[in-house]
Amino acid sequence: MAEALISDEAFIKGCAAIGAGLAVGLAGIGAGAGESGIGAAAVGAISEDRGFLGLGLLFTVIPETIVIFGLVIAFILMFAY
Amino acid sequence: MLKPVKMVKISVAGPKEYLATVSDILHKVNAVHIEDPTEEEYFKLGEPLEKASTISKSLVLLRSYLSHLKIDPEKVIPTRKYKASEVEKEIQNKLEQFQSEIGTRIEKLRELNERVKALEEELRIIEPLKVLGIPPKLLKGYKNLRCFVGFLKENPSERIREITSDFVIELKEFKNEYVGVVFVKKEFEEDVFRVLQEFGFKELPVPDVEDFEARIKDIEKEKATIEVEKKSLEAELEEIKKKELEFMLAMEEYLSIELDKSELPLKALTSKYAFVIVGYVPAKKFRKVKNEIESVTDGKVTVEKIEDKDDNPPTLLSNPKIVKDFETLTTTFAVPKYHEIDPTLFVSIFFPIFFGMMLGDVGYGLVVTLLSLYLKKLFRSEGMQKLLNIGVYVGIASIIFGLIYGECFGPFVHVAEHEGVTEVSWMPHFLTGVLTSIGLTAEKLHHMIAFDRIEAPNITLLLFITIVLGLAKIMFGFSLGFYNVYKEHGLKEAILEKGTWLFGMMAIACGIFGFVTNLVNEVPPLTTVNTFFMIGPVFLAIWLVLFLKAEIPKMGGIGVVLGIELLTWFGQTISYARLLAVGLSSVYIAYVINFMGIKMLPEKLGFIGVVIGVIVLIIGHIVNTLLGIMDPGIQSLRLHYVEFFTKFVEGGGKLFKPFGRIKRFIEE
Repeated sequence: MAEALISDEAFIKGCAAIGAGLAVGLAGIGAGAGESGIGAAAVGAISEDRGFLGLGLLFTVIPETIVIFGLVIAFILMFAY
Repeated sequence: MLKPVKMVKISVAGPKEYLATVSDILHKVNAVHIEDPTEEEYFKLGEPLEKASTISKSLVLLRSYLSHLKIDPEKVIPTRKYKASEVEKEIQNKLEQFQSEIGTRIEKLRELNERVKALEEELRIIEPLKVLGIPPKLLKGYKNLRCFVGFLKENPSERIREITSDFVIELKEFKNEYVGVVFVKKEFEEDVFRVLQEFGFKELPVPDVEDFEARIKDIEKEKATIEVEKKSLEAELEEIKKKELEFMLAMEEYLSIELDKSELPLKALTSKYAFVIVGYVPAKKFRKVKNEIESVTDGKVTVEKIEDKDDNPPTLLSNPKIVKDFETLTTTFAVPKYHEIDPTLFVSIFFPIFFGMMLGDVGYGLVVTLLSLYLKKLFRSEGMQKLLNIGVYVGIASIIFGLIYGECFGPFVHVAEHEGVTEVSWMPHFLTGVLTSIGLTAEKLHHMIAFDRIEAPNITLLLFITIVLGLAKIMFGFSLGFYNVYKEHGLKEAILEKGTWLFGMMAIACGIFGFVTNLVNEVPPLTTVNTFFMIGPVFLAIWLVLFLKAEIPKMGGIGVVLGIELLTWFGQTISYARLLAVGLSSVYIAYVINFMGIKMLPEKLGFIGVVIGVIVLIIGHIVNTLLGIMDPGIQSLRLHYVEFFTKFVEGGGKLFKPFGRIKRFIEE
């Protein structure tokens, strides 16, 4: 086996950083996919009735929780490990 | 404050001839929510009082004038109130006066507008004919010739020649098209017409005029005089509007009130000689309503309490001034049922705190506050006023948190020298110099900040704080739910339905605290056993037993699967981390804007860089302010609706709408 180019610690840090990026990025894609459908429906509902604006906005951001999960994982990876 | 106002169900019953009197009194006290009744064998819905049809006729007329004069009662702030008796006395005269002053003018305006339309129609025909340049008398009145006058898309000469060579054509360009005239013998009329149609022929009727030029001039002149006439009519209407505005609105209000009153029988059940009205009145006002009605009618009409087991009183939220502004946020989600806790107080506490925690910036907070105060002057409707009041509160909360975080349009203290920190601030160097000279060095300023949220150890700390806040708030929600269920169905149900989840949440809390303890001690976080990890399973076991006891009788074996809901609550706890995440994203956007505008561009491009930098700063901060209002607002609301309200608000109540109205333009 060839000698390792970087130390174990650096390797772990690097992997953690990549993992953090993936966690936020993929979660973002997921949330976006979820919001697209809700957003379209909400805009439809708002065009029927302006009063729905508040609730419509609210429904639209519900899938955003998924990104928060990703972000929390990212924070734990970046700062706790 | 935490409960809707206590209601009493009442019945008002008496002889039919007193219905009008009762209607007057009920409308005046403005305190009785009348239930829509259902007809029975002997009791039918009443008929509106006789005067209703004349009143509604007058009201329709008056409202049509108001709408024509573009008067919106909502937007008018009354300077004086008229006496109801005064309005009543004047109303017939005034209506006649308005009919002659406003009605005729509106009618005249309508006629003039129609005349203008007719003239414009004529112009549309004459203008192309003028371009054609052939006198009108040559375009009509032939015996053996057919003369086609109109628009054409292209020149049809070639095709007409295929039919006959004996024709005359004259074409002129007119607005991307041709206007033309074709003379042919009568016998070829049909064939030529078919050809012309292929070229998109649109016939123009030739009007009976001597000279197109002269006619156009006449039309223009007439239009001008009409415009003048219209202007003067409109000015007169404006004059009348200025003079009569408030009285018109007072009349509108008076008539609306009279209409309300005369339509009360529609909400009453009547037999041949008697009537009965069923409704709810706030317990405190019951005596007053009873005394008033019974004394005025000499006891002929009686008001009695009704004890009804499965009654469903309307909800009248009652909160002190500041809390009241937040009622809109509660009712947007759902109107609490009469027996439920009114969550508005908690919203009024946590909504600004959450908003502040997320935005947390002195500069943006000030912008939000001042903007709300300014808009309050522009939008006078009650709903907008309440909403903008919320804007002021959250703005102030943001300023307070901004002081804690040490942010003003992004991180504001320049501590480039600080170890490992490369913050960029907009505070100019000379100001930093001044501060240093009075002993406030960058170092000191930096440490004066209570809690700098963009540095690594503080991020994890804030993450922990937000999640603990989430745990606490969700458990609090379940406790309120426990109370609601206890009030409605008793202790056993409360423990099974909400108590279970309290134990479940305790288990989740132990899990989270155990994980964090291990992280702090720098040991493998999931596998090292500590006190929390030992207590956790106990709570989990209690939860499981209670949960199975609650679900299995209802759902059978499948109920076990529902235990997965505990994971949802875990997810919702973590969801509170958005208090950190949304805020951080806003800080970093501000940070990047400041970095580009103050440091990067001026250093790389010199003077031009300064100019571009200023533009970047202005646009960037405007965008970030808008994001900073939208995002924390929605996210904070969502934390209430999704993570908090679902634990205890069932909703589905109906709002208390008393019979009567708040008088703005008249008084008794």
